[in-house]
Amino acid sequence: MSDLSKLQAWMADALQRRRAIERDPELVAQARGRIGGNDRMAPESQLEVYREQFWLRHTSCLVEDFEALGAITGQEAWERLVEEYLGTHPPQSFSLRDLGETLPEFIVGCTWLPRHDLCTDMARLEWAYVEVFDAADTPPLAVDKLAAIDESAWQSARIELSPALQLLSVGYPVAALRRKIRLHEDWQLPDAAEPQHLVVYRGGDRNLHHDVLSELAFALLLQLQQGTPLVPAAEAVASAHPDSASTLEAELSDWFQSFTARGFFSEVHV
Amino acid sequence: MGVGLRVPHYKVVIADRPAVDFFEVISENFMVAGGKPLYHLDRVLETYPVVQHGVSLGIGSPAEPDRDYLKRLKALTRRTKTPWVTDHFCWCAAGGANLHDLLPLPYTKEAVARVAERAKMIQDFLELPFALENTSSYLTYTDSTMTEWEFISEIAERADIGLMFDVNNVYVSAYNHDFDPFEFVHSVPHERITQIHLAGHTNLGDYIIDTHTGHVIDPVLELYRHSIELAGPVSTLIEWDDDIPELNVLLAEAERARNVRTTALAARAERKARGAAENAVARPQERYRFERPVPNADAVHGWRQGGPREREATP
Repeated sequence: MSDLSKLQAWMADALQRRRAIERDPELVAQARGRIGGNDRMAPESQLEVYREQFWLRHTSCLVEDFEALGAITGQEAWERLVEEYLGTHPPQSFSLRDLGETLPEFIVGCTWLPRHDLCTDMARLEWAYVEVFDAADTPPLAVDKLAAIDESAWQSARIELSPALQLLSVGYPVAALRRKIRLHEDWQLPDAAEPQHLVVYRGGDRNLHHDVLSELAFALLLQLQQGTPLVPAAEAVASAHPDSASTLEAELSDWFQSFTARGFFSEVHV
Repeated sequence: MGVGLRVPHYKVVIADRPAVDFFEVISENFMVAGGKPLYHLDRVLETYPVVQHGVSLGIGSPAEPDRDYLKRLKALTRRTKTPWVTDHFCWCAAGGANLHDLLPLPYTKEAVARVAERAKMIQDFLELPFALENTSSYLTYTDSTMTEWEFISEIAERADIGLMFDVNNVYVSAYNHDFDPFEFVHSVPHERITQIHLAGHTNLGDYIIDTHTGHVIDPVLELYRHSIELAGPVSTLIEWDDDIPELNVLLAEAERARNVRTTALAARAERKARGAAENAVARPQERYRFERPVPNADAVHGWRQGGPREREATP
């Protein structure tokens, strides 16, 4: 490793330390060998400017992306969560947009969090919003194009879901809670679990929305998202929910109209 | 005379189409797949020239520039039709972490060689003029063997690239590291200046942070006047990234700079008319003396290049 790269590796490590540099005598000694300082600021104080900034910048970015999670954990737990997350998952992408990508996965192991299940759901939901916000643009599938497909083709026709759409099952009504928190309305943590199936999507106005779906509609969309052609997808859902087969048959047409109107589909491959 | 395109101004820019010569965008904010960022960029491009400025290349980092990053950057240049691409003389990542900061490089021959070689490669890859910006810095390295202006000049010459000359950064680093900002301004290869940046900053007494907030201070405008007299009619951009004011305040700041620029260009023309070299502006004879306010230990130290990211509108 070159002298330059060694210096940078040392500095990168120093800037990610959780505690002030002046509190680590060994690091202070190293800083005095590498950093110039001046008559107003010691070398470790100059380095500390950048260390402080590392934490300020990344914490504020996570607060923006996980505002509701931060609200429900409370300040102390949030700070611990951020410190542990950044400590074990140092930012790697060039873009701060990606900073929270692995937080939903990381938080699964943070069982010390109060209301851990709720926090896990909220982290997944908030990351879904980030993903949907700048996902690829695709024109919504036209109703005419869908209607023109011969009935016999649906056995093998695959419907492609919009990239700006995320499906997630949660144990608590986190979407409604998130909305209240972001609007600074009165909110309370839910007392009991209330499983929901959510779709988070970007509308034609490019604003983000969420809807609560029925179990069957959600299961069908999941099948389609996995690339299952329509008829086998409906059969798979009916097979998994034998008591609801008649409901599925009765509502399939309405669901499709509704999904199409909301831009859930981007293409159909016959 | 341009201004940085920032999220709080999107609505008024797209609706009212105010008179602005050009906008600068932070490249990384638009290196996304779709959604509102690209929609808003396309609406701005309908009316205005746009230049791209990056904050994440980290050209001096230990690892070679990321090919995927460069491909996405190049794809964005096709969309914006930017006349050039700029980033910073800095490093951003090491030891497996991207620190998302414009970290200063030691001014050494090794760093010159690393950055120059990569800058040349990037300019070839992008097929556009490429320029690097002098950063504000808050520390110096004991390894450095040359001044900052020697460092950036040597890289620019060796790589045959442009300089994004940030006059406020010159002032900030001069204040922080006790050198004469006029020596910096007078020592760089002026013919290589692609564009000039101006911004406000936050003076904490012991040091200044390049927060890009508030008005450009008069001493920086004086350095700017010298820069224009030396470099000629290069374009100029006002950056304002924190406590972002109404667009008309930002545009008024641009007019303030335009007046300085007009005066500087008139001085060049006057020299030319009397047969002197246009850029024969004298450097102040006395070393520049900074006024240092009482240190403010409680001041918030945060700063962010490029202003807030575009985010989902509440709720």
